[in-house]
Amino acid sequence: MTTATANPASGRRDVSGVVDALLTRYGARAVTTRAIREQHSHGEGLADPALPDVVVYPRDNDEVAAIVRLCHAARVPVIAFGVGTSLEAHVAALEGGVTIDFAEMNRVLEVNVEDLDCRVQAGVTREQLNAELKGTGLFFPIDPGANATIGGMAATRASGTNAVRYGTMRENVMGLTVVTADGTPIHTGGRARKSSAGYDLTRLIVGSEGTLGIITEIQLRLYGLPESITAAVCQFPDLGSAVRTVIAAMQMSIPVARIELLDDVQMDACIRYSKLEGYEAKPTLFFEFHGTTAGTAEQAELMQQIASEHGGSAFAWTSAQEERNKLWKARHQAYYAALALKPGHQAFATDACVPISKLADCVLETRADVEREGMTAPIVGHVGDGNFHLVLLFDPKDPADRERAEGIARRCSARAIAMGGTCTGEHGIGVHKLDALVEEHGDAVKVMRAIKHALDPTNILNPGKTVPMHD
Amino acid sequence: MSDAIVDGWCARIRDCAAREAPVAIVGGGSKAFYGHRVDGETLDTREHAGIVDYEPTELVVTARAGTPLADLETALAAERQMLAFEPPHFAEGATLGGTVAAGLSGPRRPYSGAVRDLVLGIRVIDGHGRHLAFGGRVMKNVAGFDVSRLMTGAQGTLGVITEVSLKCLPRPAAETTRVFECPADDAIRRVNEWSGHPLPLSATCYVDGRLAVRLSGAAPAVEAAARKLGGDAMPDADTFWRSVRDHAHRFFERGSGEVLWRLSVKSTAPFTDFDGVQLVEWGGALRWVRGASPALDAARLRAFAASHGGHATLFRGGNGRDGIFHPLAPAVMTLHRSLKEAFDPVRVLNRGRMYAGF
Ligand SMILES: Cc1cc2nc3c(=O)[nH]c(=O)nc-3n(C[C@H](O)[C@H](O)[C@H](O)COP(=O)(O)OP(=O)(O)OC[C@H]3O[C@@H](n4cnc5c(N)ncnc54)[C@H](O)[C@@H]3O)c2cc1C
Repeated sequence: MTTATANPASGRRDVSGVVDALLTRYGARAVTTRAIREQHSHGEGLADPALPDVVVYPRDNDEVAAIVRLCHAARVPVIAFGVGTSLEAHVAALEGGVTIDFAEMNRVLEVNVEDLDCRVQAGVTREQLNAELKGTGLFFPIDPGANATIGGMAATRASGTNAVRYGTMRENVMGLTVVTADGTPIHTGGRARKSSAGYDLTRLIVGSEGTLGIITEIQLRLYGLPESITAAVCQFPDLGSAVRTVIAAMQMSIPVARIELLDDVQMDACIRYSKLEGYEAKPTLFFEFHGTTAGTAEQAELMQQIASEHGGSAFAWTSAQEERNKLWKARHQAYYAALALKPGHQAFATDACVPISKLADCVLETRADVEREGMTAPIVGHVGDGNFHLVLLFDPKDPADRERAEGIARRCSARAIAMGGTCTGEHGIGVHKLDALVEEHGDAVKVMRAIKHALDPTNILNPGKTVPMHD
Repeated sequence: MSDAIVDGWCARIRDCAAREAPVAIVGGGSKAFYGHRVDGETLDTREHAGIVDYEPTELVVTARAGTPLADLETALAAERQMLAFEPPHFAEGATLGGTVAAGLSGPRRPYSGAVRDLVLGIRVIDGHGRHLAFGGRVMKNVAGFDVSRLMTGAQGTLGVITEVSLKCLPRPAAETTRVFECPADDAIRRVNEWSGHPLPLSATCYVDGRLAVRLSGAAPAVEAAARKLGGDAMPDADTFWRSVRDHAHRFFERGSGEVLWRLSVKSTAPFTDFDGVQLVEWGGALRWVRGASPALDAARLRAFAASHGGHATLFRGGNGRDGIFHPLAPAVMTLHRSLKEAFDPVRVLNRGRMYAGF
């Protein structure tokens, strides 16, 4: 089969020519200062910087297309950048080149209240969209924890706490405007619910991490704000009981919007950080129900019954907004609470997804590994989906410590794959999980490589990410 | 045993690719009418049948492509679960593989997801004769490109589907259907309004001057919604919805020279009379138009669908001279050709089924 070569440096033509052309054409909207290039050299998580040669801020589809055409002609890499909250080195400019920052493409173009959809530019952030939807009675539910851009969320196929009820970006992106590798703008999907004619290009581009096309506009599904929201919290003697509670709830089709699990290490961190009272450092489930006032109350009560059958205790629920925020405070502050466990340490997050019946085992084995290595790594799970995140705290000044953390992450991927799951349910492949992708998908990676070659024959779109170009 | 079947298919496809001899993939033949006719040596998927793994607590089922849809549904029903996209059978013998390849979903689709939303993983043989696995059996997987979804609805032109993992859902505890007499534009307006409310809708269908609305969920929620909506109860609603799903309803009986068009549009698209009769599903987003072939003008239907964010397919009948599927924009067509090339460079798999040449 044909495999693209990974852009031997000799294949690259004149980067400086492209930089000059961009400076001339975009003036102050093309930036080459070290500070700005550094800011675009990494995402969240492990901060191994790889600087682009220039960062450019286009304002519309035509400008994006023109930039990509320029790069295509010169065989110069193009990296799309939202706000850089991705966790697997997705935005690092491994081979230099041009980073397209979508900060100035941040307009909500259309809200169609009757059709329950909207069209936005790629740089609109999740919180901005919901702020602009105020008063329409609609909202956009996908919440990956960070205030990411819709373009970045589509590109990473993000999900988050609400996925049990509302799905992920995969189910909620109806159509895209994409600039292809040669700078041609195309439309995929549409306003109709049913996928478009032909192949499902929308879903191929969603989750492609900027390697198959640059997303400039997104048509998104919206939802009516629920009449009532109730939140609940419950503690468990062990992880197994918590997971069995979740399985029972899913079997009964209780329409939970969110179910989050915090393990005892994370709860301990939260109790200290958020000064919580009335909680013990035990595995804890956080629930949220969306629906009618009668419905959500009924669901919370049913949930309480199921939880108590599985040894749950300290069940508390409420529908008042302020009380809800209080109940969920521990979950919302989990990341910062984790960081506060080890001042001076850095965190890097990894995630995995397994069949839900294997979740408790996978988490416990991972915990045992963490303890064996003498590390600290709180665990948070989107349990409804069998997905969990491990926040590995390591000392950035100690290379051995970082290596230990990376070893745990690698083994966590392998463990999830061996249990019939995946090395990532949310964060994606980026650079860090290229090996795990091969482990998980085997020969299928060759086809992914062929797809990359088909859509980006000269490998200029975010090179070095998502799919390894060599065996 | 089954592995030997797949190995045999891989060898056959390699052989066909070497001879540049096209292969026509068939399952139960229930959707053979859909798309352009394919010539080639037949590869019958029905020899590769059976449920590989079904864990009701996981809400996931994995089955071989040749498994009859009916068998799969029976196995799920025994655990009070279902395929939430309510797949159309259209005829006896429909297989799982054909259902996923066709990418068609039934009445419950707008409320519980399309087939592609419920496909978690897929195994396929590509045009090189390699057996490959994409996705998996878990609810979320963002490892690499989403090839499972790309395969769904590709009509076998990118690979022979050998196995599929699907998310299933518990069957609703209660279900009821309410009926309203009203004109078509009124029906479309009503269902759109209801879609914005927290009602347990699970299907809508407007036909013969009557709007049928199905509600599914917990008994109290269904009863409360039925009271709120009003209308009359429909007796024997299951038979009705099955007839809509499988095109066994009278509406779908074509007279000689008649064709059936399928228009996928945004749900609020206005009702338009196309010199044919119409059946409207999916809260307004799916419009079936039946009529005499010259009167139902392809260009007009396509222009309407496109202007309302969708597309039009000549679903049954006609000669397909104007193409069966909605024409693609040139740049999009180029991407389609590149993808076909990536999966099946010799173009052995279901050549010409969707568009000329692939
Ligand atoms: C504390 C924390 C918690 C998190 N929790 C979750 C979680 O629960 N679930 C989850 O799914 N994620 C989670 N994430 C990850 C993160 O929020 C997502 O990866 C996010 O979707 C990325 O959006 P962004 O705008 O920051 O994109 P960036 O990080 O800027 O880019 C991400 C990738 O998308 C590409 N890209 C960006 N914009 C475009 C575009 N317009 N066109 C094409 N490609 C583009 C980039 O090239 C890059 O490959 C978390 C992150 C943090 C920091």
